[in-house]
Amino acid sequence: MMAMGIDCYGDDIPALADLAGDFDLRSPTDTRVFYTRAWESLAGLLGFSQPLAAEFTKLRGVVGWPGVANVAGVSAFAAWLRQQRPGVSDNQAAVQSAVLRQLITAGRDRSELWRVSADPTTLEGGACFEDGGGLARAFYPDTAPGYFGDGWSGPPPRAESRCGWQTPLVLHLGTFPWVYSSRIDITGPGLRWWSPNAAPAVDAFRVMASALEPQANLRQDARQVAAILHHFQKHTAPLVARLPLYRPGVAAVGQLHRRAGLLYVHQGSLHVAGLDGPRGRLPAVAYNHVIRRFADFFAVRRATVQALATWTPEMKRVAATSADPCLRAQAEGVTRAG
Amino acid sequence: MSRALWITIGTTLGVGGAVFLGSRRASAASPATPGGAGSTPPGSDLDALPTAGDAAGDLVTNWGDTPVDLRPLFDKMQTVSRIAGSARIFAVIAFRESGFVTTAQNGNAEGEQDERDDSRAAYKNNKDRNPPLKYGEQAAEFGSGGLFGLLAPYFLWTGVPEVGKKAPLLQSPPELVFQPRVAAFAACVYLQRLLANYRIDDHADIKAGWASPSLLKSGRGKEQYNHVRARFFEDAINLGIDLLDTSTIPSKLSASAWPGVPAVWKALVGELPKEVA
Repeated sequence: MMAMGIDCYGDDIPALADLAGDFDLRSPTDTRVFYTRAWESLAGLLGFSQPLAAEFTKLRGVVGWPGVANVAGVSAFAAWLRQQRPGVSDNQAAVQSAVLRQLITAGRDRSELWRVSADPTTLEGGACFEDGGGLARAFYPDTAPGYFGDGWSGPPPRAESRCGWQTPLVLHLGTFPWVYSSRIDITGPGLRWWSPNAAPAVDAFRVMASALEPQANLRQDARQVAAILHHFQKHTAPLVARLPLYRPGVAAVGQLHRRAGLLYVHQGSLHVAGLDGPRGRLPAVAYNHVIRRFADFFAVRRATVQALATWTPEMKRVAATSADPCLRAQAEGVTRAG
Repeated sequence: MSRALWITIGTTLGVGGAVFLGSRRASAASPATPGGAGSTPPGSDLDALPTAGDAAGDLVTNWGDTPVDLRPLFDKMQTVSRIAGSARIFAVIAFRESGFVTTAQNGNAEGEQDERDDSRAAYKNNKDRNPPLKYGEQAAEFGSGGLFGLLAPYFLWTGVPEVGKKAPLLQSPPELVFQPRVAAFAACVYLQRLLANYRIDDHADIKAGWASPSLLKSGRGKEQYNHVRARFFEDAINLGIDLLDTSTIPSKLSASAWPGVPAVWKALVGELPKEVA
C-alpha cells in the first residue's frame, strides 16, 4: 500500500506539520485541542486574541468542531478588524472585494487558492479604482523575486491597462495578511484591505483560514503549497541558521532566537525584530505567521487523510479525482484498505 | 514645591533628565545587543512578558500600531499602578523613547554624547543625597535606555523617596533597564510622581515631564516645552492612538489610587535574580 504520509510532498513536511501538532480528526477531544491551539496561535500573532476568546467562550459544549471553531475565528477577526484604522478608500475596497471574488472562484476551480494569479485586465474594473480623479491599481504589482517565488513577470496583460498594470496580479492568500512575495511589511499588507463600507480583508482571511477546514484543505493542491514552502525555506533557512538557539536562563535579552521551529525574542517584541536577506527584510512576526500557515496546512492535511475512510462520499471523490498524484494514491490506499 | 523636593523627585523619577534628542527614537531603534554572543544582559530568567491571557483591559481598542505582544505589558502597568488610561500613554512614550525595542540604548553611539553627559551629571550631582548605587560608576557612563528611555542613575534610584534604602534597584547594574518588566516598574513610579507632584494640564504635559520635570516648572510655555508637547501629539497620531478617546484614556490621568512602590514592584517584577538583587 502507498504510504499514507504527507512526506509525499517532501521529506521535511512531516516535521513541519509537527510544529502545529499531530492529531486525530476522529477524536473530538484531539480535534478541539488542536483547533483551539491553532486559532489561539493565529489570533495571538495578529492581535485578535480577546475577540477570539469571547467567541470561543460561546462554543463551550458545542459540537461540530472544527467547523464551528473556524466560523468563530473568522467572526472574531472581522470584529477585531472593525476596530482598526481603515487602510484603503471605499473605492479601492469595493474593487478589491470584486476582484477577490473572481480570483477565489477561479482559484477554487483550479484547486489553487494558496496563490492566485490573473491577468488584471480581465478582472472587475481592470483591477483599477478611482483615486483622486485618476485611476490606480487596487493591489500591489508583486512580480519581483521574493520570498514566495522568483517573480511573475508575465504573461503581460492582453489588453492595455487603464491604471498601469504591466504584469499579472499575484496574491498569496494562503499566508494572508502577508500576501505579497516581494513586500513583506511588519504589518501584513492584507490587513489594510478594509474601508468603512467594505472588508475584502475578511474574504481573504476566510480563504487563509479555510486551510484549517478538512474539506477545503483537501481541495487545495498541496503541491502548490509545498512548492511555495520550499521556496520560502530556501531563502530563509540561511538567515534563520545564523540565530542562536533559545536556552532558558542564558538567553540574551532583546535578541532574536530560534525556538521550536519559530523565531522568538527573549524579553522583547517579535513585532520589531526581523531578518535581513538578499530578498529584503523579513519581519520576524511575518516569518512565524508564514511558517505556522504551512505547518497548519500540512497538519490538517495529514489528519484529514488519516481519517479519510470516515469522510463523506464528496470528500472521497475530491481525493480520487484530484490532479495531485499523492492525494490520489492516498485515496486509493484507503479504498483498498477499507 | 520646595527646591529640595524638586531635586529629590528629579533624581528618582528615573528618566532622561533634561536632554532633548530629536533623533532619540532613531538611535533607540538599534538594540544594544545586536545578536552578539556573550552579550547577555542581567536577569535573563526574570518572568517573561505578560501575554494577552494575563490582560485585565482591552487590547484591541485605540492601540494603533502598538506591537501586539507589548500591549499586555502596558495594560499590566495600568492595572498595577491603578492609573486609569496610562497604558496607551506609556505606549506613546515608548514609541518615541525606544521604538518599542526593549534593549534600546541612548549613549553608546558617537552622536549620543549628550545622553552620557547627562547620566554622568545625574550621578555626580545626586549621589550624595541618595543611597549608594552598587554600580554607580557604570550607571554614570551608561546614558539612558530600555523601553521608556530611562536615564540610568535615576532608574536605579527609583523608589527611594518612598522606601529609602529598601528601593529595589540599588544593587543592580544599569543594564537591568533592558528588562521590560523592570523598566515598566520604573516608568510607573515616574508617572505616579509626575501626576502627584506636578501640574499636569493634559497628556502632553506628561511627556514634557518625562523629558525633564523642569519643563513643568520654569520651562513651562517655553520653546522646549512646546517642542516636546508638539512631538508627543505627532507621535500619538503616527502611532494611531487617539488621545481624545475618553473611553480608553480619561482626559486627565490620576495617581490617587497608587498602591505604593512595593506593590507595583511585586506585581511587575517580583524577585530579582540573586546576582542583580
